[in-house]
Amino acid sequence: MLGYTITQWLFGILSFLAVMFALLVVFSKNPVHSVLYLVLTFFCIAGHYLLMNAQFLAIVHIAVYAGAIMVLFLFVIMLLNLNEQHEPRRTSVSRIIGVIVAGLFLMVLVGVLKGTEQLQLTNTANAEAGLIKNLGQVLFNEFLFPFEIVSILLLAALVGAIMLGKKEVKENVNENRI
Amino acid sequence: MNGLIIICGLGLLAMISEIFKFRSVLFPLVLTGLLAALALNVWEWNNPMHISYFENMIGFDRSALAFSTVILAIALLWFVLAQDYFKSGQHLVDHYALVLFALAGALMLTGCKNMTTLFLGIETLSIPMYVLAASKKNDLKSNEAGFKYLIMGSFASGFLLFGIALVYGATASFDFEEIKAYIAVFQGELPGFFYVGVIFILIAMAFKIAVAPFHFWAPDVYEGSPVLITGLMSTVVKTAAFAAFMRLFMMCFSNVSELWVTLLAVIVALSLAVSNFTAVMQTNTKRMLAYSSISHAAFMLMIIMSDKGETASVNSLIYYSLAYSLASLSAFAVIYLVSKNGSEDITELNGLHKRNRLLTITLTIALLSLAGIPVTAGFFAKYFVLSQIPSDTLLWLTILAIISSTIAAFYYLKIVGSMFFADSYTKEPIVVQKSHAFVLIVCVVLLLLFGMVPGLITELALY
Amino acid sequence: MINGVSIDFYLVLSAVLFTIGAVGVFVRRNTIILFMCIELMLSAVSLLMIAFSTLHNDTSGQVFVFFTMAVAAAEVAVGLAILSMIYRNSKSIDSDTLSNLKN
Repeated sequence: MLGYTITQWLFGILSFLAVMFALLVVFSKNPVHSVLYLVLTFFCIAGHYLLMNAQFLAIVHIAVYAGAIMVLFLFVIMLLNLNEQHEPRRTSVSRIIGVIVAGLFLMVLVGVLKGTEQLQLTNTANAEAGLIKNLGQVLFNEFLFPFEIVSILLLAALVGAIMLGKKEVKENVNENRI
Repeated sequence: MNGLIIICGLGLLAMISEIFKFRSVLFPLVLTGLLAALALNVWEWNNPMHISYFENMIGFDRSALAFSTVILAIALLWFVLAQDYFKSGQHLVDHYALVLFALAGALMLTGCKNMTTLFLGIETLSIPMYVLAASKKNDLKSNEAGFKYLIMGSFASGFLLFGIALVYGATASFDFEEIKAYIAVFQGELPGFFYVGVIFILIAMAFKIAVAPFHFWAPDVYEGSPVLITGLMSTVVKTAAFAAFMRLFMMCFSNVSELWVTLLAVIVALSLAVSNFTAVMQTNTKRMLAYSSISHAAFMLMIIMSDKGETASVNSLIYYSLAYSLASLSAFAVIYLVSKNGSEDITELNGLHKRNRLLTITLTIALLSLAGIPVTAGFFAKYFVLSQIPSDTLLWLTILAIISSTIAAFYYLKIVGSMFFADSYTKEPIVVQKSHAFVLIVCVVLLLLFGMVPGLITELALY
Repeated sequence: MINGVSIDFYLVLSAVLFTIGAVGVFVRRNTIILFMCIELMLSAVSLLMIAFSTLHNDTSGQVFVFFTMAVAAAEVAVGLAILSMIYRNSKSIDSDTLSNLKN
């Protein structure tokens, strides 16, 4: 079709959708809509993963981001009843910072346009690199130590979130219970 | 490595103590654990068995051991200081566990040899700190401090990750040594986005150590957090972040130094200018110390820029971070004790010498050290920095550093003056517990000792 | 080239997504949307990491993305806990109410 392969077509469509939904996340007024658009963005990104033969990560990405993190967001929005919010326009300072960020983006693009042809590629293509078996072998050999540290990190986040989320109990009640 | 394992174990032990009801002995257990970790560090220093562990993910060479010893020693003093702070709150066990997990992250940062451990170390250090910054649950200021810290921290993590991804894309590796070897081989023909990646990592690290123009969150977070947590941020967190900064840029990216040295020079100049002029105008002691910490971070960055060889720079960085941490810890300790029944305003320190001699002497020595006046450790710390800057190319930076230290000395000495000569609204004496007095005296003695015999640190054989 | 798509396109795509997220952090005042923008930034980075991993045929890039996800989840959990605490104290999560710490 028009000289492009199916993968290239899929890449184009998914990229367009991802960017469009990402813009909608930032510019929609209602937080609930933002959450839903973000879920759609994540699905598009997972589609990209599938195109790159990273099947397992595509599933994990949907399960963790769309399934867990975004549900947490929705939960908090519903719990605090934050559906409609009118927010005033931002001041000029934040606009300036926005311009700076856009400038950084320009820097990245300049970096991209000169030099990817210089990449030194050594390994040969292997379509099975994204399968669970290969991932597991790398994760539990090379990356064993970071894997253990992630457990400490998650434990710390768990303790912290519970400590902050819990309502304060009155002092004497607390003493009695302990 | 043993230190890291012990600290992780202590964190878990702290959580179990709630279930098995040995909360009351938790404090001595933590102290013993920290002492054991310190002793094992010294033992590892004398018997270097394995330098790197887990497929070169983490490695405790002598410079890493020196940094982790500094962190553990400061943490030990901090725990003694914070004993009654823990008791006052409801979430004693959670606080212990969070501080210990943050400490584990800090130790990991001192020994990181891989982008994965660098990233996870930063996060393991930061996430408990976000929670601790927000830990005064009914105080909106504390909540806000935690929130700002979290937003800025995760924003910086985004930049760090983007930088890591670009560097990985260019070199196909996360390992510091492999990246360094790759740069050495393909120097001059690296893709453009590799340099963008290095700059992004630099920006992210500048956020984490709070130097201008990425410092704007620091004064707010320092002011809003509980005093002792601010003390932890400006000592342990800073030292760990600098250890990682040094490993990353002096070891991994040393072959592209012409790129980042120029950027660092700009960052240092901006930080020196912004911090010292703003610090003069502050009325809150914690905000003042936040700006002072920015200017000290700029000094530490100057060490990383030096071209006088790795050993000399690492030695002076360790000396600087030790001197700064001790002075800063004792300053925050005094603010903590003074503000217990009062505010954190600078005027609260007026006429302090009529209320408590020990606090006055400690704060005087600490501020003199921060200002870099001789006999205290701060003098040699600044002296080593200025002697290491390449004087032919960066003479203007040296001059700027000297001018800004003079301004800094002015506002430190103003506080010292008001402690001795200004009238306070109350003459009520401040009672200092024995354990607190012990910490203050240890800090003062160490500051004076290192100020008189700097060779104790700078002549350590690191390699 | 990854399945016929040049790596340049992946770089541009993830840079665009990253920038949308980063700009969102600065222009929005609703703190919940602010967190979502940070999530967007992180997943843009994950996309780039996996593209490079496929390009170099090196599995470690994909494993790194696992750690990114774990960290993102941890940050969100802590962040939302702080937000709900702020809401309990001030009955608003607009970032304008969070300006007690300014001179």
